[in-house]
Amino acid sequence: MTGEPQAPVVLSVRGLRKRYGDLEAVKDVSFDIREGETYGLLGPNGAGKSTTISIVCGLLRRDAGEVTVDGKPIDTGAVAAKAGIGVVPQDLAIYPDLSARENLTFFGRLYGLGGARLKSRIDTCLELVGLADRANERTDHFSGGMQRRLNIAIGMLHEPRLLLLDEPTVGVDPQSRNAILESIAALGREGMAVLYTTHYMEEAERLCDRVGIIDAGEIRAEGTRRELVALVGQRDEVRLTATGDLGAATKAVGALPGVGGAVVRDGVLELVVDDARGMLPRLLDAVDKAGATVRGVDVVQPDLEAVFLHLTGRALRDAS
Amino acid sequence: MLTDLRVAVLIAAKDLRQRLRDRSAILVSIVAPLGLAIIFSGLLGNTTAFHARYVVANLDGGQLATVLRKDVIGALVTVKVADVTDAATRDEAIALVTDGKADAAFVIPAGFTAAINAGQGATIEIAGARNATLETEVARAVAQRFGDGVVSVQLAVATAAHLKGAPLDGPATGAIVTAAAAATPAVNLTDDVARLRQLSMATYFSASMAILFLFFSAQIGIVSLFDERRAGTLARILAGPIRPWSVLFGKLLAGFAMGVVSITVLVTATTLAIGADWGPPLGVALIGVTAIIAAIGISTLVASFAKTGESAGAAGSAVAITLGVLGGSFTVSSQSPDSMATIALFTPHGWFLRGLGELHGAGATAADALPAAGVLLAMGLATLALGLVRTRKLVTAR
Repeated sequence: MTGEPQAPVVLSVRGLRKRYGDLEAVKDVSFDIREGETYGLLGPNGAGKSTTISIVCGLLRRDAGEVTVDGKPIDTGAVAAKAGIGVVPQDLAIYPDLSARENLTFFGRLYGLGGARLKSRIDTCLELVGLADRANERTDHFSGGMQRRLNIAIGMLHEPRLLLLDEPTVGVDPQSRNAILESIAALGREGMAVLYTTHYMEEAERLCDRVGIIDAGEIRAEGTRRELVALVGQRDEVRLTATGDLGAATKAVGALPGVGGAVVRDGVLELVVDDARGMLPRLLDAVDKAGATVRGVDVVQPDLEAVFLHLTGRALRDAS
Repeated sequence: MLTDLRVAVLIAAKDLRQRLRDRSAILVSIVAPLGLAIIFSGLLGNTTAFHARYVVANLDGGQLATVLRKDVIGALVTVKVADVTDAATRDEAIALVTDGKADAAFVIPAGFTAAINAGQGATIEIAGARNATLETEVARAVAQRFGDGVVSVQLAVATAAHLKGAPLDGPATGAIVTAAAAATPAVNLTDDVARLRQLSMATYFSASMAILFLFFSAQIGIVSLFDERRAGTLARILAGPIRPWSVLFGKLLAGFAMGVVSITVLVTATTLAIGADWGPPLGVALIGVTAIIAAIGISTLVASFAKTGESAGAAGSAVAITLGVLGGSFTVSSQSPDSMATIALFTPHGWFLRGLGELHGAGATAADALPAAGVLLAMGLATLALGLVRTRKLVTAR
């Protein structure tokens, strides 16, 4: 794209499919992640993000498709190839009755680390996630945010080529979330390939070099933030702060020609429209006739939230 | 292979660290069995050595009855397993038993010697106290063995007389029978007493509590597999560069190590604290190790039917207690009905106690434990194989 030599592909996913009975959880998912790249899978709960990650790290059988890490195939029987993968599961996966250092020592040794290198890596990771001064405390004495940070430290301890993070900030306070995002951004800068799943648009925008928007098991669009926003085209995002019958108002404006999507969230009608300036009188009129009163109007530049709305007709957070 | 073994050892070491940090595991594996062994052996310590009080009413007074009284029943006094007193009448003997002054009575009827000399049958009456089952059984066995010897000699005499074509006269037959009876029981009686030798109460309850609680220790590894699955750490482990079997092996290894720690501490502590005599160390080790394998195998099989760690633990405990009851962990096997002794042979508990018992015969060596160890090993390997086949679903990809 830029003419410069591209970094090598670390993770390649091709035509991935997984079905649970009648539900097709993953439908023909394909994407690549290059060295030093952070790739986000952005989508609501149940979109197929965790299933995709479970298949990529060999914990779940796939029905079809291919996964390679540095060219080596990954499946449920793979052993050596999995040494290059680090996993940070969505739910905490640490031993509460062991200290942070003991947790790291155990998982480090599982990945073949030992001696001075293990100690050095443990110290580095504890420092990176801000737990160096609590290293010898049992983790059941940690706050939720600290446990989350240790959860991440375990995943990156053995310096994997590919780090898989499955919604690592769910349920974390803003301060810890910030620390976690800083840590992950640092990993990308060090050359690690990162697959990051989230349903937080802000995280995807802040962390990821490229984002795949996934819904109902399908990647609906993929690209950089700029590329994705371009999908919305010349459209504008209009936010109407209103009172009254917002349900009826949403239905009314959604039916107007030129409106690409309409949802209501926290008393605000969010709309993607072709031309905000030209359509505004008709929007206000429709809202008024539906029995609601507009208190404020904002026209904003589209973001990934607007892209999701544009692609699926639903708001990302409502879908979550 | 080495990597798999290293991973298994890592997992086992981590599990052991967690279990030893968790005081309930120490309670179950060491404190509870040790405490119960001390309490039971203390409460029942007075019954440690077998010693009976017999009364004999010799209403015959003939040669053969005298041999039975002096050489056979009297030998029990010589080997210090009984005190024997005499009663003039049957009623007096029975009264002593009824009053609790004797455990059992031998009543040798009048005409006993004459009947046997004539080649006829005779009856020795044994009357036992209600609460002296074992003592009565010993008395009955002594009388039975004496009777068997007499019958054998009668048969030999009759056969010899038939071959010679001229029957021996009564006195001559009586002399032969009397001589044979006097000689034979001396040997047989010693054998009887040796067969009835049992573990002391301290050893018995130490051993029975050890095997009972061994099942709780041994299941720690396999039950933790369910806990790790629920906590997500199992998935995290399996996402690493390891084979699923090494995880299972690590869990079993943790159970084995916990069992070894439990048995070793119990053997040492009960030996020092309450004087338990477990027998030759090599034999005890053989029985101990195979019992641990049996406990792990059965625990694994039971856990394979469970869906959660809680249900696996509960089912394992129920099976452990049931097998303990059937296997004689709560009752001295020598005082149990024959049917219970038979049922005990279907449990590792029964074979564990039997194996230790074999180590306490005269001149017993570790080799005497081999049959029981073989049965325990077979039980362990068979149930372990079945359990692992069923449990592998926990560590394989869906």
